[in-house]
Amino acid sequence: MKKVLHLTLFLALVAAIAGGALALANSLTAPIVAANALAAEKQNLQLIFPDAADSDFEEISVKDSETIEKIFKVNNQGIVFKLKVSGYKEGTSFMVALDDSGKILDYVVISNGDTQGIGTKVAEDSFKEKLVGKNAETDTLDTISGATVSSKPVVEGIQEAGKYLSENLK
Amino acid sequence: MNRKENFTAGFIRENPVFGLYLGLCSTLAITTTLNNAIGMGVAVILVLVMSNIIISCLRKVTPSEIRIPVYIVVIATLVKIIQMLIKAYAPALDSALGVFIPLIVVNCIILGRAEAFASKNGVFDSALDGLGMGLGYTVSIIVMSALRQILATGMLTFENPFNVEQSIFAFRLIPEDYVISMFSQPVGAFITFALLAGALAAYKNHQTAKEEKKEAAAKAALKEAK
Repeated sequence: MKKVLHLTLFLALVAAIAGGALALANSLTAPIVAANALAAEKQNLQLIFPDAADSDFEEISVKDSETIEKIFKVNNQGIVFKLKVSGYKEGTSFMVALDDSGKILDYVVISNGDTQGIGTKVAEDSFKEKLVGKNAETDTLDTISGATVSSKPVVEGIQEAGKYLSENLK
Repeated sequence: MNRKENFTAGFIRENPVFGLYLGLCSTLAITTTLNNAIGMGVAVILVLVMSNIIISCLRKVTPSEIRIPVYIVVIATLVKIIQMLIKAYAPALDSALGVFIPLIVVNCIILGRAEAFASKNGVFDSALDGLGMGLGYTVSIIVMSALRQILATGMLTFENPFNVEQSIFAFRLIPEDYVISMFSQPVGAFITFALLAGALAAYKNHQTAKEEKKEAAAKAALKEAK
C-alpha cells in the first residue's frame, strides 16, 4: 500500500511540474502565436483592401458555422468573410467582402485544390466579375456550367455569408 | 567507454538513423528540404539533451516501476514547449514540419537514450550523449535531405527560419530540365535512405575487416616471435 502511494504521488508530482512548465511556456508564446496568425491573415485581407492600415482590421468571432472560418471587419469599408468549402477534391478556400447591405465588393480565392482547368475556374476573373456588385443574400448567383461541383459550394458559401451578415451583424 | 568515444558513437558506430534505424518515420517524411532537416535536427538535439539531463537528474529518485511514464511525461513536456517556441518564433518552420514536431515525443531515439543511457549515467555524460546522438541524427538527416533536394529540385537552398524572406544561400547544381522530381516523393525517401544505410553498413564492415586483419597479423607476428 505504501509503495502504491509512493508511486502515485511521484508520478502526480512529475505531471504537476510538467503542467506548470507548459502553462508558463504557453502564457509566454500564446500572444506571439496569435499575432503571427493575424499578420498572416492581414496579408490576405490587404489583397481586398490594399489601402487599409493594419489597425483597421478587427476580427469578429464566428458562431455556429461550418464553412465560415473567420470574419474581419474592416473599418468603414466592409466585412470580409473567410470561408472553406468542399469541392471536387480539396475544395476552395476563399474570401468574400460584403458591404453593410450585403452587396459583394470583392471575391478572392486563396487556394483551390480541384481539377486544373475545370474546378480552378472558380479562381478566374470571369467568375468574379459575375459575382461582384450582386447582393449575396437576395440576388441569384450563377454557378459555372461544367464546373458545378466546385462552384456550387462557393456560391452557397457566399449566400451563407450574406445570410450571416443580415442575421448576426446588423 | 571514455567520454570522447561516448560522444562520437552517434556519428558512425551507433548512428541512430542509418545504424540503429531509429526515428525513421519523421526522417523519411521531413527530409525533403535542407531547411526542414536543420529545423528538425535542432529541435531533436534540444529535446534530447534536455530530456537526458532531466532524466539523469531524476534517476536516483525515480521508482523503476513507473520510470517509462515519468520519461514520457518529461519528454512530452519538453517537446510541447519546443513546439510552442517554434510556432511563436519560426511559424514557417512550424507549417513545414507540421505534425512531425509533436511526433518527436514518440521518436524512439529520445526514449531509447533515456532508457539505455541517461537512466544509468551521470548528468554531464548524459548531456554529452544526448548532444552526440542528436548531432548524429541531425547530420544524417542533413545529408539525406541535401541529396533529395538536389536530385528533386536541382537546387540547394537555406532560408533563415526566423524570417522566411531572408535567404542565406540558394544555388543551382543541376539544370532545371534534368531534375528527378520523384526524389521529393516518399519513394525517393526510401531509395535515398536505403542507399545511405547501405553505404554506412559497407563502411562499418570495411572497418571491422581491417581490424580483424590487423589482429590476425598481430597474432601471426606473436606466433613467429615465439
